[in-house]
Amino acid sequence: MYLRAAATISPKGSFEQVLATTASVPGIRLACAEPDYSKLIDTRMIRRMSRIVKMGVAAALQCLNEAGEMMPDAIIAGTAYGCLGDTEVFLQKMVENNEQLLTPTAFIQSTHNTVAAQIALLLKCHNYNNTFVQGGFSFENAMTDALSLLKEGQVKTVLTGGIDEITDTSHAILKRFGLYKREPFTTDNIFQSRTRGTIAGEGATFFVLQSGVSGNDYAQLMEMETFYKPASLVEIEQHISAFLKRQNINRSDIDLIISGENGDMKNDEVYEKLYQSVFTGIAHTTFKHLCGEYPTATAFALWLAANILKSGKLPVGLLLKKKPSTVLVYNHYQFTYHSLYLLKAC
Amino acid sequence: MADLKKQIIAQLNLKDLKPEDIGDDQPLFVEGLGLDSIDALELIVLLQQEYKIKLANAEEGQSVFRSVRTMAQYITDHQGKAAE
Repeated sequence: MYLRAAATISPKGSFEQVLATTASVPGIRLACAEPDYSKLIDTRMIRRMSRIVKMGVAAALQCLNEAGEMMPDAIIAGTAYGCLGDTEVFLQKMVENNEQLLTPTAFIQSTHNTVAAQIALLLKCHNYNNTFVQGGFSFENAMTDALSLLKEGQVKTVLTGGIDEITDTSHAILKRFGLYKREPFTTDNIFQSRTRGTIAGEGATFFVLQSGVSGNDYAQLMEMETFYKPASLVEIEQHISAFLKRQNINRSDIDLIISGENGDMKNDEVYEKLYQSVFTGIAHTTFKHLCGEYPTATAFALWLAANILKSGKLPVGLLLKKKPSTVLVYNHYQFTYHSLYLLKAC
Repeated sequence: MADLKKQIIAQLNLKDLKPEDIGDDQPLFVEGLGLDSIDALELIVLLQQEYKIKLANAEEGQSVFRSVRTMAQYITDHQGKAAE
């Protein structure tokens, strides 16, 4: 399967900005750098769209424009939180108006499948449309569905992506749960903080996937795999080794690993141990200092991998002996949702 | 009517419009402001929230929401009744 196009709206504006970014972060919450939506979306439709809907639709349209494919055979999204902003408006109105006089727009737009639906409405696309809402596997399951459709030959072009937003309310609640670091933040480099908690993030990332090579693809997605709640580090190592073996890949064949360290010392221990066992000696880089932690952050990691493979350019501070041609993405979300993506340059 | 126009703009999030851009007799739906059925529901909520007026009959909507003037007239006619 080939990544024909890739687009993201993330805390970093572009791949060039990503390349120049160090592990220094400005705080415990990274908000997306949003474009001028009026240049991308019909202004009559924008007025009803909440922030995450605009982010998702804009990323999808950028991606489709890049691919020159404005009528995908399938639109598949993954989101864990859904449209939180509109959900909050709707719930707030319920309380304020004593469960009466509810505004229809916030209710209609608060459902998790709003982004995929709005893309279809804009394109007037009546093809397959689905949204996966499964925590830290939401994007992975969207990808699995996309790859299944392509492998079965039912479709040729699929638009798929991962979207999640953080709002003031969700940030405050998740902070109370202890998910995020306490401020003031004592170190610039989150990966050296040696404390509990991570930094909040968000993003909307879309890909156009095709079964055939186009000659202008970002990368070839060789395979992906997920595993759920491994009982031990040994089990994680076994999953990774088996995955690589099935792809006939040795450690020495992997030029770069993009892994999901998020600055939480317990979370990052998993990666540190893997870099001393199954990943020994392989060059690696992180991505969550760029996008923060959120359930569909692997979509951003995949976008980063695709851009590195297409451009041959590497983030600041990362030196490789040769231009990378094989990249492995490994991420776990809260020790529960583990995913692997193997990509090759075209 | 100027206040009503402001309320319509706020309720429907018509950010690009100012009250003076909406004509008193300009049709609100389709060929006029281009509003649709979801906007009609929002306008029903606006009447209830701001003026405590419940649209008694859904079929009335078409004539009530024809323009800002017809809405204003409906509000004037029914505000006394709502307060009773």
